[in-house]
Amino acid sequence: MKKHIKKWFSLDLNDKKKKDDQCGCSGGGCNSGPKETKDGYNQVFDVNMNRRQAFKKLTAGLLIGAGAANASCSVTGDDASKEKSEIEWEEYFKGNYKLMSDEERDNTVDRLVRSYELRTGSKVNLSSKDAEPDVLFGYAFNISKCQGYMDCVNACVEENNQDRDSQMQYIRIHEMNDGKGLNFGEADDTYYHEVPAAGHFYMGTQCFHCDNPPCIEVCPVEATWREKDGLVVIDYDWCIGCRYCMAACPYDGRRFNWDTPEVPEVEVNKNQHYLGNRLRKKGVMEKCTFCIQRTRNGKNPACVEACPTGSRIFGNLLDPESEIRWVLENKKVFRLKEDLGTEPKFWYFMD
Amino acid sequence: MKVFKKLVKDSIIHMTYGRRSYHIWMAVLTVLMLVGMFCYSLQLEHGLSVTGMNDRVSWGLYISNFTFLVGVAAAAVMLVLPAYILKDIDFKQAVLIGEGLAVAALFMCLAFVVADMGGPARLWHIIPFIGVFNFPNSMLTWDVLVLNGYLFINLSIPFYILYQRYQGKTPNPKIYIPGVFISVFWAVAIHLVTAFLYQGLQARPFWNNALLGPRFLASAFAAGPSLIIIALAIIRKFTDFKIEDKTIKKIALVVTVAAQINLIMLISELFKEFYAPTHHSESAYYLFFGLHGKARLVPWIWTAITMNVTATIILTFHKLRNNLNILYFACALLFIGIWIEKGFGLIVPGFIPGPWGKIVEYFPTLTEIGVTIGIWAMGAFIFSILARTGIAIELGEIKFKK
Amino acid sequence: MTSTSSIKILSCILVFLVMACKGEKEEYHNLIDKIEAKSVEYKRKSIQEQDLFDPNDLVQINENNIQFHIQNRKNKIQSFECSECHTKPVAQLQTEGLGKKAHWDVTLKHADKNTMSCLSCHKDNDMNNLQSVTGKSIDLNYSYQLCNQCHNQEVKDWAGGAHGKNLSGWQGSRVSKLCTECHDPHDPSIKKRWPSRYNSVMVSERK
Repeated sequence: MKKHIKKWFSLDLNDKKKKDDQCGCSGGGCNSGPKETKDGYNQVFDVNMNRRQAFKKLTAGLLIGAGAANASCSVTGDDASKEKSEIEWEEYFKGNYKLMSDEERDNTVDRLVRSYELRTGSKVNLSSKDAEPDVLFGYAFNISKCQGYMDCVNACVEENNQDRDSQMQYIRIHEMNDGKGLNFGEADDTYYHEVPAAGHFYMGTQCFHCDNPPCIEVCPVEATWREKDGLVVIDYDWCIGCRYCMAACPYDGRRFNWDTPEVPEVEVNKNQHYLGNRLRKKGVMEKCTFCIQRTRNGKNPACVEACPTGSRIFGNLLDPESEIRWVLENKKVFRLKEDLGTEPKFWYFMD
Repeated sequence: MKVFKKLVKDSIIHMTYGRRSYHIWMAVLTVLMLVGMFCYSLQLEHGLSVTGMNDRVSWGLYISNFTFLVGVAAAAVMLVLPAYILKDIDFKQAVLIGEGLAVAALFMCLAFVVADMGGPARLWHIIPFIGVFNFPNSMLTWDVLVLNGYLFINLSIPFYILYQRYQGKTPNPKIYIPGVFISVFWAVAIHLVTAFLYQGLQARPFWNNALLGPRFLASAFAAGPSLIIIALAIIRKFTDFKIEDKTIKKIALVVTVAAQINLIMLISELFKEFYAPTHHSESAYYLFFGLHGKARLVPWIWTAITMNVTATIILTFHKLRNNLNILYFACALLFIGIWIEKGFGLIVPGFIPGPWGKIVEYFPTLTEIGVTIGIWAMGAFIFSILARTGIAIELGEIKFKK
Repeated sequence: MTSTSSIKILSCILVFLVMACKGEKEEYHNLIDKIEAKSVEYKRKSIQEQDLFDPNDLVQINENNIQFHIQNRKNKIQSFECSECHTKPVAQLQTEGLGKKAHWDVTLKHADKNTMSCLSCHKDNDMNNLQSVTGKSIDLNYSYQLCNQCHNQEVKDWAGGAHGKNLSGWQGSRVSKLCTECHDPHDPSIKKRWPSRYNSVMVSERK
């Protein structure tokens, strides 16, 4: 996974040639990384590897030194607040989640769990589970079945620890008008009356986890990327809050924390994933993750689980026997804004 | 080293002494900067919710000003080109002022970007090799590179020239001419890259057209030199720096041509949006006529267009353009008109209507306006300092005495 | 001098721009190609592994060559076996005035009188089972076969996974809800109700 990430700018002269060959539609996925015969440029840039490690060691030393100085010099602070500031210090200097080694990931999970414990006294179950092989998540939405109940929205908000003050919702349910087609401009997503109302049908939108997402291309720090199992995720601690990804998303998939998100302690979902529903902070982006904390444990996302009419279908696109594949092969499916070339993994169909 | 220290010392002495009007000007700017800093502290405390931005319109006043100022910075180099490449002596006097303006504008750009960030403490994440730099995919990274490079060029070349002049030596053309040459291309690059930031988003049809980049360049070359003309006028009045009329008139010619091209591009855009309107024209409808009863930006854009058209017409007529007072008025009109057009007339309507057609209107809050005014004051402050020092060295008021 | 240096600079910039192509292009032209290319046989977790259901509680269905499970229905019906009460034909029970016991107030709101009556589904002389149009017995656990008679398309979709509710999650061997768990066979239409949520923030934003 790491070889696909550009840690820094490198002139991938060798890689470019390989890709030109593959564009002849050989069909087979070439997963073996390019064997780099080092030419002049790569030799120069390879030196940076050592520089990064050197910097890592420097920061490690800095952290230890500063942490020790911080802890020892503070006379007034008690142990808990000293530990808190130490954790905050180390969290500030950690790197991008994609580039972390397993050990670093475990460390940051431990720090986050401990920091929550210090703040509130209760424990959370924070996972950093990786993607399973041979899995590509797909989603289908049955427009005929959706009645506009919004049970999915409620389940999503509870599952993903979203800010209650701003009523952040990843899912929007649009009340569309019969006979007007998919005219979202005239649809209403703030309705509140008995549903289904006559003359309307209902469609839900959320992040579609595109396979060619415009949002990950534009992030200047690569705080958002597409995982191997197709989920587009965000490292909340790496995001700098420039909101370029929000401008780039054609589907209104992303949400920004304009304020500090607050979830009442009793409502916090304690089963969390680092890239999923762990508690976010002010000034970072967040979005639907197909409930990564649930789906990487074999369960369906909360919205799929909650829908009483069964209009939401979820599964593994690479499993030919899955329900999602049956839908794609047997129902007349379409995706939204397909002409934009984003390849969303969220299909719509009608009975 | 000794020379450098003396230069800094002399500059500081010169910066802090002056006529009463200078002190009042600097005092006003300082007050505005403090107001801006206070507003920014509010923003740091409460997050960006103190601004008017929301999930639908996620970029507002800050990024509008950023976009506009990149153009102003790029245009400073419009004077460099004739002065050094076309060897037109008349422009040489204006070059240092232009580059000072570019530096001030660039600092303002960087300040606006930082003000707009949700997590400014994490900005180190973008530094190459230390953080992760998503180059060449992300246009923002290109922007970071070109803006900082341009800042470096615009700081180093005038510094070199002034450093030599400070010592009474003539600057060596072999050193600064290549830099000047690069800066011409670089200026075009910075504004083109900034335009590509918006142009490359297929999700926003208002921006996703081929004309955005050239439009940016045209409006930049109209607005930037206008500001330079006004700055030169002020300098002529308040210092002994000799700027000939024909220099200003030549710059005015540049402004005129750029303003005319800007109008032509505007007409092209209007035609595309309104001749055969599609779903993608909704943003233009919202901007020019209002959509479904929401029409907050309509007065702004029509004011801007009126200003631009008036200014362009005035500038087109030789008689009017060569009358310096009318020229200053027209330049001010053009500057403000383009500021509105590029800001509220471009960034905000790109987000309205949202991806699912929902209209959420935007208007900046007082905190946002406060930070903006603070940053503009900071830019004026920097420009005043640089211009004052630069002019003093050029005039020989500051000299390195052994 | 200026011309050669300018050419050098220009060519550098050109090379730079050409090299910096946009991102890593995937090897597949679109998503469907990718899915087809990367599809592999995927073993879903068995019922025992899933630990969500008691295997004894599940009934295996094999419809249109698709295998999946539903939950046992019979052991959840309160008054099964039906023959404990239904010792006489229904018509007789109704007229004999035995009183309002159990489901006396079941009204049929399913299709119309021409199409459906109680005996369309219930077997008069064997109330423990249902009956098909042709009079064959259908076990209560396989009641979908009744629905299949008229709603063939829906049952096809249900067997495929496009209709109905999944209970097992994407990774576990599939367990679906039976038709009657969502559609009351005597009144199958989906009811109106109010939404679970009111979006006050959105409403104030859009004003």
